[in-house]
Amino acid sequence: MNQSITITDVKLKHLDLAKHEARWGLIFISPWIVGFLLFYLFPMIASIGFTMMNINLGNTEETRFIGIENWKRALTGGDTKILESIINISRFALLSLPIGMGFGLFLAILMNSKLMIGKELFRTLFYMPTMIPLAATTLIWTGVFNEYTGWINLFLQNVFGVKAMGVNGVRWLADPNLIYYTYTIMGLWGVGNMMLLLLAGLQKVPTELYEAARVDGAGWWRQLWHITIPMISPIIFYNLTLGVIGIMQYFLVPYILNGGSGYPEGMTYFIMVHFYKQAFTYFNMGYGAVIAWIIFLIALALTGLLFGTANKWVYYAGGTDK
Amino acid sequence: MKKKYTIFCCLLILLIGLLIVACDEAGGRPKIRWYVGLGAGSNEETLEPQKAVVAKFNENPDRKSHLILEIVTNAQAYDTLATQMAAGNAPDIVGPVGIRGRDSFKGSWLDLDPLVAKAGYDLSDFDPALVDFYRVIEEGLLGLPFAVYPSYIFGNKDLFDNAKLNYPPQKYGDKYIMPDGSAVDWTWDTVKKIGMLLTIDKNGNNATSPNFDGENVVQWGFHFQWTDARGIGTEFGAGSLVDNNWQVQIPPQWVEGWKWHQNGMWVSKFMPNGPQVNSDLLAKGNTFDSNNIAMVHCHLWYAACCVGNVKGQWDNYCVPSYKGVTTAKLHADTFEIMKASKNPEAAFEVMAYLIGPAAPDLLKIYGGMPARKSLQATYFDEFGKGKQFEGKTLNWQVVVDSMQYADNPNHESWMPSFQETTARYNDFYNLIMDKPDTNIDEQVALMKDDLQKIFDAAKAKEGAK
Amino acid sequence: MSNIQNRNADMYLTQDLLKRKRARNELIRRLKSAGITLASLTVLFVFLLPLVYGVVGSLKSDNQISSPRAPLVIPSSQRKYTYKGKEYDILKVPTNDGIKEWAIVEKSPDYSMFIDPKNPEAGEIKWEGKWITLDNVWYTDFKWINYVDAWNKIRFERLLFNTAMYAILSTFGAVMSAAIVAYGFARFRFKQKGFLFMIVMATIILPPAVTLIPTYFVFFKIGWINTWLPLIIPAYFANGYNIFLLRQFYLGIPREMDEAAKIDGAGPIKTFLLVILPQALPALTAVTLFHFFFCWNDFFGPLIYLISARDLHPIQVGLTQFNQLYTQKTNWIMSASITSSVIPLVIFFFAQKFFMQGVVITGVEK
Repeated sequence: MNQSITITDVKLKHLDLAKHEARWGLIFISPWIVGFLLFYLFPMIASIGFTMMNINLGNTEETRFIGIENWKRALTGGDTKILESIINISRFALLSLPIGMGFGLFLAILMNSKLMIGKELFRTLFYMPTMIPLAATTLIWTGVFNEYTGWINLFLQNVFGVKAMGVNGVRWLADPNLIYYTYTIMGLWGVGNMMLLLLAGLQKVPTELYEAARVDGAGWWRQLWHITIPMISPIIFYNLTLGVIGIMQYFLVPYILNGGSGYPEGMTYFIMVHFYKQAFTYFNMGYGAVIAWIIFLIALALTGLLFGTANKWVYYAGGTDK
Repeated sequence: MKKKYTIFCCLLILLIGLLIVACDEAGGRPKIRWYVGLGAGSNEETLEPQKAVVAKFNENPDRKSHLILEIVTNAQAYDTLATQMAAGNAPDIVGPVGIRGRDSFKGSWLDLDPLVAKAGYDLSDFDPALVDFYRVIEEGLLGLPFAVYPSYIFGNKDLFDNAKLNYPPQKYGDKYIMPDGSAVDWTWDTVKKIGMLLTIDKNGNNATSPNFDGENVVQWGFHFQWTDARGIGTEFGAGSLVDNNWQVQIPPQWVEGWKWHQNGMWVSKFMPNGPQVNSDLLAKGNTFDSNNIAMVHCHLWYAACCVGNVKGQWDNYCVPSYKGVTTAKLHADTFEIMKASKNPEAAFEVMAYLIGPAAPDLLKIYGGMPARKSLQATYFDEFGKGKQFEGKTLNWQVVVDSMQYADNPNHESWMPSFQETTARYNDFYNLIMDKPDTNIDEQVALMKDDLQKIFDAAKAKEGAK
Repeated sequence: MSNIQNRNADMYLTQDLLKRKRARNELIRRLKSAGITLASLTVLFVFLLPLVYGVVGSLKSDNQISSPRAPLVIPSSQRKYTYKGKEYDILKVPTNDGIKEWAIVEKSPDYSMFIDPKNPEAGEIKWEGKWITLDNVWYTDFKWINYVDAWNKIRFERLLFNTAMYAILSTFGAVMSAAIVAYGFARFRFKQKGFLFMIVMATIILPPAVTLIPTYFVFFKIGWINTWLPLIIPAYFANGYNIFLLRQFYLGIPREMDEAAKIDGAGPIKTFLLVILPQALPALTAVTLFHFFFCWNDFFGPLIYLISARDLHPIQVGLTQFNQLYTQKTNWIMSASITSSVIPLVIFFFAQKFFMQGVVITGVEK
């Protein structure tokens, strides 16, 4: 059979196949294309337009086109807060992303253990804080981190004997050296989704691989490093990418805890907080849009970087095609 | 291989019909949207009564418009209104709104004078000074008097009893009788003296005792509840951060007031510091309601919203004086019509309804004293029946009298770049409240420089028009 | 002879050894299991400590929370004694005859007057000392009423119904569309795929706050304000997060499975339905849960799009009505928040089994 097909046939067929494949691909992604055109394209273009306007909310008559003035102000050092807040968020990201990812992975592996009793309950309980609405979470954290009556300081003082309470003690929310740790701890509460995804990934690692490794005498660590992590690397990649994107947009926690004042000592004045203050507190919509697009460009560059390195460490069983 | 490529023109069919027939309850009348949230009126208890007020309006077939109520929680009210405005979907009438809310959207409000004139609206029931309170240079009459919230001292009588101290005066000008029987003027200095006697640590020592443990206080003497640097400064004499030429000025009496506050928190310790205020001991900021504080300074709205948990007897007392002058800062709420309203006349009809026939019902739930003279006399008879006052007898005359000492200029009045300026002085005040040894003079100087920069930038923008 | 005996003994020994070894392995397994469970418990304890603070806080009276000497964890109330028509606190008073539980009727800085509830006829007893240093007598008292109040205050049934409707309608569309679109991105070669996928990512990367106003403007112009449409319809056109997530999972499915299906004559749709979807079931479940929970906790969207349609409000919008201008009804916020998270957690509890088993059709060795 095979021998009867001539070379031209193969080529033609190949072309046909490629066309056929492309057509099907487009058909499958068409819902997204339509949605993008309907709901995203115009707002995105409009927000670029905003960056070139001086938008005054009260008086729409005063709104006028000012060209690249907003961009100039942001990029030529007219606004020192931009660089400052980018440095802040970078420092925070370097601390909180690895800890958050590590904790998520740790929990997922723990929850995946066949030896554990009451897995379902454990998983649900670890997931629970993710479901607590923000209004309550804020109350809880300001409560437990309070210098005088917070449980964390009570715990430290009474169980570990650290002099933790009072304004001379451990000031979780007021000490600029501690604040990123405090926010990181709060962030761990949202680990549920990551845990869940990694768990789903772990479920799909074929057990034969572990058996084979065991026969080769690989210990737990080597199995983790050489089988588990590569096999779930697509999910780690997803979480890392979303983590980077998410942290660039990080503002809700500082905004609720201190109204975006950057307290303490400007440490929590992050780039997205800057955007929010400019756009929704000072109502400088045009300038705010510039900040948002700067956030976008940075996050896009980082995402691009991640995608660029992906072929070095992300393993796709289904292969990728470029 | 089959060559049967049926090209589905299948951009997935949108099954969802887009017709949502908004049933036209308006009956052809223009819709007027009333936006609540910048001031009082967004908490749970006020929802149903406000709905009832709207229903009553719409029942009347002679109305020019159909009223629609939009209530947004205070925390989101500013963003939401901004979004609506920017998208060209601004509401018609906004309120109750204080000066703070108004100045956050400066330039968006309609001058009411022409509407008042056209409708022949009778203003004689208001104090003319109060009407002028809503006149803004170059913008006109932005609101009509509706609710006023004088400030005064809330005192927990049980704590005074426990300390065997006399209660503060309830008539302006009266003296305070100290434990030794001497009569002294009711001044901030006196508040400090008795405040220290009312401040107790966990061992039962008060703040005047040498054994007093300032890190383990369980009961405090005094607190300025829910206000900011301008509000605290104003209690030592009204002033403003900006003069007519847009130059920064820091009223010297404010600096003295701030120092008094700082001393109270960190040295004499009869006032809770920042972290203490936010602790469970002081109900996360609702300090008076925690029963662990003898006196707070706050406004009338506080009695409406947040004192449900005070166990024993409490009462209203006079605001202390500073250097012979008493200042009791005043909050005042009103309704305002947006410039963007497509139907200002119909909006004014709603406004007249809200500040007229509907006022008694609304004021009761917002906790505001009526601005209408004709309603003031009987107001507290009704208000005093509130659930939170059960079993308590309160002296409301103090509240009425406090009106006489209202701050002028008002502590919430306009500043250039209102929000940025506010953010800057809040940063300054956070330092005082959260750190034991802030050098106020140094920080004031720094703040002055920064504020001037903000004002100059605002002026440049203004000039560019 | 002795040899044979020895050999027999050896055999017995080996069997015995094996048995013992097995028993030992079993023991080790159990120990490990206990160890892991215990370790998880410890982590969980620390992890949930703040939540415990929240939960017990929702069951306490405000009074207990602000009392400096109140029990820290157990929701409790103070014992009272009514004397001559008035209620007084009962305190633990140290006396020469040991600690007495007396009601305090008069407080002074340096002495106080007490009544012995067991012997009120004896009259007031004077006690020298600082009453503030004395402990109250507390009894366990869970304030379930906070939950009842919160439930009644915000029309929970209506809000729950709205939330469920909105979440279900939106999730259905979101999962369905993302499953299809991600397939297109994961398995087909076409021009500009890289570019298009970059745009998918861009929709995630651009902060939604910046497009808020123009988006609102679009929905306002087409008359969708105060309807559910802005919250539901866009979900049917696949959002970036879900596409990206499912693409990651699809890419992890070995191609051999597609090829096998193709050889059996399956077209793209059949392959999608019979190979990809079953393989991606755990991921689909995850996306379903995420989207559902996202809708459940969504707040700002419903708030601005449903602003004057109070009857359509979902739970999170209702919840914030406890946030007052200056303070918050902390007990109600806590109890209402916990109540609102119960339903999704129950769903989670049951859904996880289904998604953990996640049908791994193996034989897929590389």
